[in-house]
Amino acid sequence: MSPRKRRLLELVLDNLVWFMLLFVLAVFSLTVPNYFQLGIFANIIEASSVLGVMSIGLALVVIAGHMDLSVESVAALSAMLVGILFCSAGIGIGLELHPAWLAVPVSLALAVGVGALVGSLNGLLVVRLGMNAFIITLASYIWVRGIVLAISGGRSAQDLAPAIRWLGIQRLLGLPVTAWIAILCFVVFSLILAKTPFGRHLVMIGGNETATFRAGIRVNRNLVIVFVLAGAIAGLSGWLLAIRTSGATANLGIGLLFNAFAAVVIGGVSLKGGVGALPGVYAGVLLLAAINTAINLMGLPANFTQVIHGLLVLAAVLLDTLKQSIRQRLA
Amino acid sequence: MKRLFLTLLGLVALGLATLAPAFAQSKGTVYYLVPTLLDEFQTGSVSALEMFLKQVGYEMKTLNADNKTDAQQSQMNDVIALKPAAIILAAVDFNALKPSVEAARAAGIPVVEFDRQITSTPSDFTSVAGTVEIGHIAAEQAEKLLTAKNGSPKGKILQVLGDPADPYTLDIQKGFEEKMKAFPDVTIISVPATAWAADVAGTIVADQLTANPDIDLIFSHAAHLSVAGVASLEAAGKKPGDIMMMSSNGAPVGLDLIRKGWLNVEVEQPLYAQAAAVAMFMDKVANKQEIKPGEYDVLGLKGVVTKEAWGPNIKIPGAAITKDNVDDPAFWGNLKPPAGTVKPIE
Repeated sequence: MSPRKRRLLELVLDNLVWFMLLFVLAVFSLTVPNYFQLGIFANIIEASSVLGVMSIGLALVVIAGHMDLSVESVAALSAMLVGILFCSAGIGIGLELHPAWLAVPVSLALAVGVGALVGSLNGLLVVRLGMNAFIITLASYIWVRGIVLAISGGRSAQDLAPAIRWLGIQRLLGLPVTAWIAILCFVVFSLILAKTPFGRHLVMIGGNETATFRAGIRVNRNLVIVFVLAGAIAGLSGWLLAIRTSGATANLGIGLLFNAFAAVVIGGVSLKGGVGALPGVYAGVLLLAAINTAINLMGLPANFTQVIHGLLVLAAVLLDTLKQSIRQRLA
Repeated sequence: MKRLFLTLLGLVALGLATLAPAFAQSKGTVYYLVPTLLDEFQTGSVSALEMFLKQVGYEMKTLNADNKTDAQQSQMNDVIALKPAAIILAAVDFNALKPSVEAARAAGIPVVEFDRQITSTPSDFTSVAGTVEIGHIAAEQAEKLLTAKNGSPKGKILQVLGDPADPYTLDIQKGFEEKMKAFPDVTIISVPATAWAADVAGTIVADQLTANPDIDLIFSHAAHLSVAGVASLEAAGKKPGDIMMMSSNGAPVGLDLIRKGWLNVEVEQPLYAQAAAVAMFMDKVANKQEIKPGEYDVLGLKGVVTKEAWGPNIKIPGAAITKDNVDDPAFWGNLKPPAGTVKPIE
């Protein structure tokens, strides 16, 4: 194979999910009425913001060779706390700060802080006590959702403070500020993962924890940090979710975890750990949102969404296997 | 250690002794099997049933199935073993719970169907608003709204359903669409919000408004879906009244949206009356006495008891809430439980 062909093939393999996204967008634009328009593409990016941010935290933990099933419930808890404090209707107590814009950093700090707290508990139990991350975070998934239900009493909070809602309404270049926040998160964490020692250590830990430890890297500290980060990022996604829906309901965000896992896997992150990059995850999130939007416009029963998501994850795993074998041949 | 154990034992004994008089005064324990607590109507139903049943002398305990059919089946099995005075069931799945209802009745425990009708097997009493009828009322309101806007019943409606696996939403859709068939100039776009998730509903509204900017009316099958719909409308630069909105179930959030001018109509489920009817007939149910068909006054509403193949059934009509009557305390969404007490039917 000529070096040029080889480079081209590697480019395709490295960005397979982006090519899949372009292919899917082209097919839907040609076949689904009203799909091909800027407004719909903006909707896809906007709809990806919450899931996208949540997927970042999950991807970091998975790349480090672990799992965090609590991210969905953490997002719901953050959204509910923000809703209760800063909504003026339903169970919201309508907290007012002066000046009004202070509500933005305070609510953000609250959401991220609560997430970080749950994440630190997960991290400490997994790392210090050597407990299985799947079980620990599954327990968190359940008890944190229980807290959401307990503090809300099953009721909802609406009418979020205008200063916070502004972020969901105000548009820059056709996209709401919340979508730009999600994009910024992807850029920042992609750089952290690819360009900083911490990011590289996470990939190494996910690839071989023992070897990384023997190389003198503080594995436990990095793992606790990644769980705290996953929790904090899930809190951030909850904050975005509250902004997007102008409040919070007790069932807010149900099902996001599975979509986040689907996005992470489709985005090329190996569930075995040690492999993956965040730009691919973002492409995975956009791909899922593009499909959901198509289904919304086609008026297909929602069950089809789940079937398509399932098949897509299967296709992504198969493509990943194919990719690995092609790479081995190239090597 | 021994002292600690004895202290604990003493506390338990003291607690039991305190509870004993309460049990002595009660006519018995009724178990309420609620499908989920992630929904304001269901949460409201727990407190309403508890309040009304207490007024007629029953203690109520609630078990939440988290929308899982198998969990509710297990709960039924467990409760049957406890031999309560009656079971109130709001079934997660109408058909799947049929054997459990039959098992309870075979064990001599009366079963009351609340809110969600099971017609495939007899029950001792059923109290419903009629989900298909809610769809009918919504259709009448849609006709009025479209006529007021376009001069005749014509235009485009976006119908945001709940979870596609929930018969509650499918029944409302059935009732709504069967009435709307009479208006061929009305186009209905129906999209389900999986798991009744508000964020999904928000995305549906955003997508559909972009693809179909000529939508006249958005009908969501629950008020909390309308909240997310409003958030999407706001994000699209719309103001209250730009697009007509309607939802069903009468939750507090829906009433707030009416006050703010976003929502034109909320079709209420008469939660308080439905719960009061259960309490009014509980003595008859628990003592297995005959429930006579006819009209009954339930908190000022006309409830009609009929003898159906599945047993005595009381149907209490839903109501359309608009800006004109939104503050009526009779609507459960105003969260003002009725001041008076209910009396058992003699």
